[in-house]
Amino acid sequence: MLRASAMTNQTDVNLQAVNGEVSGADIGITYGMELMNFAQSVASRNESDLVAARQTLLDVAGPAVLVDAAGVAANFQRMVRIADSMGIPVDDMQTELGQQVRQELNLGRFTTAQNSMATQ
Amino acid sequence: MNHFAYNESPYPIREEIRTAYRSYWQQLASAGSWWSGAERVAIAQEVRNATNCEFCSERKQELSPYALKGVHNSSTTIPELAIDAVHRIVTDQTRITKRWVEELAENDLSNEAYVELAGIVVAVFSIDEFNRALGLALETLPESESGELSHYRPQQAVEGTGFVAMLPVDGDAGNEAGIWPGGRSANVLRALTLVPNAFREWLALSAVQYIPIQDMVNMVQPEGRVIDRMQIELVAGRVSAINQCFY
Repeated sequence: MLRASAMTNQTDVNLQAVNGEVSGADIGITYGMELMNFAQSVASRNESDLVAARQTLLDVAGPAVLVDAAGVAANFQRMVRIADSMGIPVDDMQTELGQQVRQELNLGRFTTAQNSMATQ
Repeated sequence: MNHFAYNESPYPIREEIRTAYRSYWQQLASAGSWWSGAERVAIAQEVRNATNCEFCSERKQELSPYALKGVHNSSTTIPELAIDAVHRIVTDQTRITKRWVEELAENDLSNEAYVELAGIVVAVFSIDEFNRALGLALETLPESESGELSHYRPQQAVEGTGFVAMLPVDGDAGNEAGIWPGGRSANVLRALTLVPNAFREWLALSAVQYIPIQDMVNMVQPEGRVIDRMQIELVAGRVSAINQCFY
């Protein structure tokens, strides 16, 4: 969805920010670095990192951005567990955009890729 | 008790978030399709126990997620299989297999009960994660309410996608008429529909934490958010990647 939104906004982004590449996070995305670090600290459940990342995001972007970002992070802490606990496959493995993104981010390394590979 | 008042929060929390969380807490406390109100609240408690479970930490380091035997950090009386399922969904979800879900069913944790349990786990976990992300104390769990189980299973649920039966894409009929937001479905929307209310419950949370499904096509600036869609998807993508989510 990051690729799709960047295309719609005609903005260059570095998709590797999704994989935590620091140099990519700020390209085309306001507060990209701070949002990436915040998301990372929430998902990895490292409390000391989270305290620091939260304060940094708050300092540069303000409380409304922090609350919105917390909502999105919380949402995806849920969504990944829905997908994996039910073993759902990707809906369409053949779309060009999807194939590009999966290859670019090397998502096939994830264990749960087998839930989609099995249905091809 | 006035849940989710967020009086101690140094940051203003959107009213729609507070309302959605309160509404979910009420649903959590009520009898569901396959679990009583007391059991549903106990499942919620186990979500919290799982985040501080030594056995889960040890098991996550094991090559096989099913070999190591041990005792979970637990404080409830729901069946051991259910406790293990809660903890596994919270701490080691990528290694859940169809065979394991089948074994649950063979040992009296039916697919329907598993789906409702999973729905509670993911909903409570996401609400708790929101508070934790903001450095706020977790909300007190609700007092359970009495009531009869509905034992409702949609007739049109079918096997063939994922580990359990779910509504087919054209399954928005009968009691489930209009269940797909905007009339469009996807596997992630179908995932918990063996217990339709489990789906409805997470959908309401998602609308306030992320964006309403009907607004998914808005790739620029979702209404009511200060962050734009690219910022939203960067956070979504990074959280998903750390959780090793292929979907």
